Amino acid sequence: MHQDNRPILKHPLNVRVFHYILLLSFLPLAATGLLLFFKPLSDSAMGLTYDIHIVAGVIMALDAVAFTLMAFDRVVLFTNRVFTFGGNDVGWFKVLGGYPQKFLLGKKVAVPPMRKYNSGQKLFGVCVLLGGTALIITGLALWLVPYAIPRDTAWLLGMIHLGCGLLLTAFLPVHLFLAVYRFDDFKAMMLHGKVPYHDAAEYTPLWVQEEVVPVSSKHAE
Amino acid sequence: MTDKYQFTEDGFLLSRRRFMAVGAAILALLALPVGWLGNRIAKRNEYIKARADALYMDDAIAKYRVSHANPAIARYYSEFGGEPLGHLSHELLHTHFVDRTKLKS
Repeated sequence: MHQDNRPILKHPLNVRVFHYILLLSFLPLAATGLLLFFKPLSDSAMGLTYDIHIVAGVIMALDAVAFTLMAFDRVVLFTNRVFTFGGNDVGWFKVLGGYPQKFLLGKKVAVPPMRKYNSGQKLFGVCVLLGGTALIITGLALWLVPYAIPRDTAWLLGMIHLGCGLLLTAFLPVHLFLAVYRFDDFKAMMLHGKVPYHDAAEYTPLWVQEEVVPVSSKHAE
Repeated sequence: MTDKYQFTEDGFLLSRRRFMAVGAAILALLALPVGWLGNRIAKRNEYIKARADALYMDDAIAKYRVSHANPAIARYYSEFGGEPLGHLSHELLHTHFVDRTKLKS
């Protein structure tokens, strides 16, 4: 059967650059964060782990601040998207996007049509927005002004940092697995930003129908 | 896939009112925890300051502010203890230091 491979720009360059820096900073942050929590290494190795955690954390904080300042419209658009929930999202969660049936039973079930992000991605987006913001604020405070913070507040910030870190780290393997499974979207985010029309029409039909339009060649990259 | 793309999102999808509402919510969400934390840091010594203020206030309104002006102390020396730093007062009032640090281990 003929597949419609006409490209749709899904992830613009600034989003891809932001995502790359986020990826390269969060992976060491998650690994060193777990090491700092369980403390399995020698004192000097734990010191090095701490230094790596700080450097990666500063990179992630700068990435988030820079993207928020330079692409505030994309941040607003993303926030609006991930915080918009409706009946289709309830239906999506009832079948969990059809992924368990597909992976475990080899069955294909009907999934409610989605916009640019499916309901699971939206839930992940909410966790990244809120949890990532909390991680950055608490991490910077605990690193920069630990002795100026009252003891009970410092303990609370530490717990928030730990909880959000563990939550986002728990999401990470799921995100990586599903990202690679949706290989066209994976290539779009990691390489050229574009998904083929048939892939977008299959997984994000409402986005294609209501938000995607043809462009003239002079606007194309 | 070709280098150019043939489709993209249809401009900016949010209305101006919606954009401002979501943008304001984001800024508030960022400002609130930063403001709360800054407030906690700014007020970190408030309890200690309040305690010190209370002690100074107690001192300022105290009837007897020095021990030698206290009639009870004067009466102790005149009727019982003899004189300050005297033998009996030293026996009764002097405290001895006992090292109890070994008891902790």
